[in-house]
Amino acid sequence: MTWLKLVEGYMPMQMISELAGSILIFALANWALNRAGMGIPKFWAGVGVWIYIQLYLKYRIYPPIPFSVRAIYGTVSACGIFMWVSGSEDAWQEFKRPVMNVMDGISGFHKAVRTVSLIVIPLALGGFAYTSFLPSFEEPIELRTVHPAPPATTKVHGKTFVLQVVENPYRVNNEGKYDQAYTDARIVEQAMGRLMKDVNDPNYNPWDPNAEGYTKYVREGGEIFFQNCHFCHGDNLNGRGLWAYAFNPIPANFTDAGTIAQLQETFVFWRVSKGGIGLPGEGFPWASVMPPWEQHLTVDEIWKVVMFEYWHTGYYPRTWD
Amino acid sequence: MGRLTSGRAGKKFLAVTGLFAMGVMLLLPIFVALPALAGGGGPAAGGPPPDVVAAQEAEGEGAEGEEAKVEIGRDVYYKTEGPAVGAPAPKTQDTAEFYPRYNFESRVLLWVANQQHLYYGSFVLAVPIFCMCIEFAGLLSKDKAMAKKYDQLAYDFIKISLTAYSLTAILGGILIFTFLTLYPAFFGYLSSIFRPVMHIYALMFVAESGTLYIYYYGWDKMKEGLLKWLHASMSVVLNVIGTVLMFLANSWIGFMMSPAGVDEQGRYLGNIWHVIHTALWNPLNVHRILGNMAFGGGVVAAYAAYRFLSAKNDEERAHYDWMGYIAMALGVAFLIPLPFAGYWLMREVYAYRQQMGITLMGGLLAWLFIIQATMIGILFLTTNYYLWQALGRMTGGERFQRYIKYFVFILVVGLLVFITPHTIVMTPAELKAMGGQQHPVLGNYGVMSAKNGGINAIIMTTIASFIWYQRGNRVPAVKWAKFGNIFLITFFVVAHLNNIWVACYGYFIPANVRIGLSVPQVAGTLSCLFFGSALNLAMLKQSRELGPIRWGQIAPRSQYALIMLATAFTWMMGLMGYIRSSVRLFWHVNEIMRDNSPWAYTHTIGFGANVISFNVLFFWITIMFVFWLGALGAKKAPVPATQPVPGAAPQPATGH
Repeated sequence: MTWLKLVEGYMPMQMISELAGSILIFALANWALNRAGMGIPKFWAGVGVWIYIQLYLKYRIYPPIPFSVRAIYGTVSACGIFMWVSGSEDAWQEFKRPVMNVMDGISGFHKAVRTVSLIVIPLALGGFAYTSFLPSFEEPIELRTVHPAPPATTKVHGKTFVLQVVENPYRVNNEGKYDQAYTDARIVEQAMGRLMKDVNDPNYNPWDPNAEGYTKYVREGGEIFFQNCHFCHGDNLNGRGLWAYAFNPIPANFTDAGTIAQLQETFVFWRVSKGGIGLPGEGFPWASVMPPWEQHLTVDEIWKVVMFEYWHTGYYPRTWD
Repeated sequence: MGRLTSGRAGKKFLAVTGLFAMGVMLLLPIFVALPALAGGGGPAAGGPPPDVVAAQEAEGEGAEGEEAKVEIGRDVYYKTEGPAVGAPAPKTQDTAEFYPRYNFESRVLLWVANQQHLYYGSFVLAVPIFCMCIEFAGLLSKDKAMAKKYDQLAYDFIKISLTAYSLTAILGGILIFTFLTLYPAFFGYLSSIFRPVMHIYALMFVAESGTLYIYYYGWDKMKEGLLKWLHASMSVVLNVIGTVLMFLANSWIGFMMSPAGVDEQGRYLGNIWHVIHTALWNPLNVHRILGNMAFGGGVVAAYAAYRFLSAKNDEERAHYDWMGYIAMALGVAFLIPLPFAGYWLMREVYAYRQQMGITLMGGLLAWLFIIQATMIGILFLTTNYYLWQALGRMTGGERFQRYIKYFVFILVVGLLVFITPHTIVMTPAELKAMGGQQHPVLGNYGVMSAKNGGINAIIMTTIASFIWYQRGNRVPAVKWAKFGNIFLITFFVVAHLNNIWVACYGYFIPANVRIGLSVPQVAGTLSCLFFGSALNLAMLKQSRELGPIRWGQIAPRSQYALIMLATAFTWMMGLMGYIRSSVRLFWHVNEIMRDNSPWAYTHTIGFGANVISFNVLFFWITIMFVFWLGALGAKKAPVPATQPVPGAAPQPATGH
């Protein structure tokens, strides 16, 4: 069943397409059954769709979706189903008919269901309330702020950097001038499985002995990365280093579109320099073990390693233009 | 006969002259408010503090005869230089001198007072704009019955606003007393900075009240001919004054967030226009106008829903059904551009201070934005739901109802993407099972590219629902109807595909380029709004009516949807106000005057949500009182016993 796998890079759209396809199949089946005079009652159709969505989210999507998100999705899908079944007066009457039949107790069977419901529903609610009040030994949930606001300035090795305006001194073109467009053109090809654009060209391959300028600085950044950072952040920069799972939370995954890809380079410079302990209170400094790298690296080394991270992941730092 | 005519003409002339003079007088504050006139001179801020005065006097003793030196300060925002004529911002301490208090958190007291004043202020500023539009619609209508109907509706609107206006003034007084009692140092500083325009603000309030009362009480006297036009023109004057009032109030919060016109010590540099025209003033103005309109529409729709649900006869039901629809449509018309105004505001916030932007969107307050996204989703979903219910009172509306499930799917998926948090709430066990902070599938929904796609899909679907509604009981009969239908459907499909494509493409390009991609997305949505609606109306110019609209024959669910719409507006407004205010963190005036009270910390999300909910509840209890008062007045009027002809335009339920 390999064709059923979620394909990396396309998973978000795949999930929506699968749900859309399922709903379409469901609608077609319902239409066909109606034509054959065996239509599913609206009430059970609504309940069935809702259960299907919950099962899909719980068992189809991997890694497992945390409960908080499934609860949000469950509530929104329930609202959507309510909108569907009560969108027109006829549909609403049809939907609530089984419920009203039970409430009115129109037959012996309905009366029995009513009696059972009147016993089971309060008991279930009571049980739910009881279990939620039971003491729990689980660690409390933390609403961690992954990207806390940086300060306006930061002092590293005695020099003050204004984060909104400072530039990476190694992000330069052949003439030695700061040039983001030039360096952006030389990062790895993200869409092609993170490959170098031309391994035979020293302008693109930092490990070419003739590499100069930007590409040479990238190599130096890479060397610093593999000497210091890859144990936690991993040799693919995906946060899955050898020691990664010794920590909670695990180290940042730079290949994710939501980390360095949406940050300014100066933000990353600040984070690397100050480490976990330098985070503001809102960033939960106690929940990050990253050392303040300013104690181990020079300013130049930090700039180079930051540049390497962007080069390797194929992302561009965010800019203000 | 001739004398009679000339007598009437004379009376008319006098009335017109009188009204003209009154209009000029009422507009006077606006001219006075012009910066050139308002700048004034002399030291602001009530002079420097006593210790500084003493020091200056001591210095001055030895320099008698020399010209007094005025220190030159540099504007923190405009970077221009000017004489530091004001006192520096007070450096407060946690003492009773700076922060006198009751045995309760002063910040929460101020929060409640401020929020209530804002709710009512927004309402009374928005409703006259609706009145103006509706009254002009009535004036321009060739159909006399429709004209009367519009006129009655405008009157109904302003009637609700009038009682709310008194409450607004009372709440404004409570707010000032709360400031003076609990934050005297801060309020003193702020009022010293805005001294040149403080009284103008008060005078504008007087002008607003005067115009409003004449507008309301003169309704019957000025109901025909030129006088009616003058009456309608007064609504323009009323709204101009109201808008200027709001702009002035916005300048205070703009100054608190992004100060300008002062130097680093907070000393006023003599240019009031710089103080008013801060980095965030204009985005706030636009955002608040749209927000007020959407909120006002929601509250009036809730009023109509309340009256519909408590109606005693079909005639009343028909009238309030129609009123609810108009109010909802006006509110939603301003809701649709609101997210775009919000984007502009956030863009300006980022441009002003990066850390302020990150605190809002990615940092400390990011969770509140997830709640905001949920509320926006609720607003749009409720609007769609109401429109689908409204199709039920039209013959032919059932043609569209069978497709509701597909619209529901687009709306639900759009909303799910829109509200998926980037950083998920999870237990440590779930975190380990997931293998990181971001989920590999859902994490992609958490960034802006996908969220833009989600909200644009929702807005486009809402526009399509409106087009459905316009077509409810009508079939286009123009020659090119078939081509038009195909073109309209293709247009919407292409706009949706463009939206999805751009949302996906955003993951493969740099973040700064991605931000630019919101332009084609918004362009697609706005094209659907303007071009789609215009094309639809053009097709309906010649149309075949399938049957009448049965006003009043709508499911009660629709009215609860209107009440929910209004409640969601209220909650969201409270939330966004809290977010905007909280982003200053521990500053009264950002980077100028520090908040040293014990409450200079950010509340937990739960506490914040509880206070917002309290504010919403309090507002709705008091506004119910206002509604009740409105209904009390209406009871005096005789209600015609005749039943309306099904499908005919609803006639006014009450006289005035």
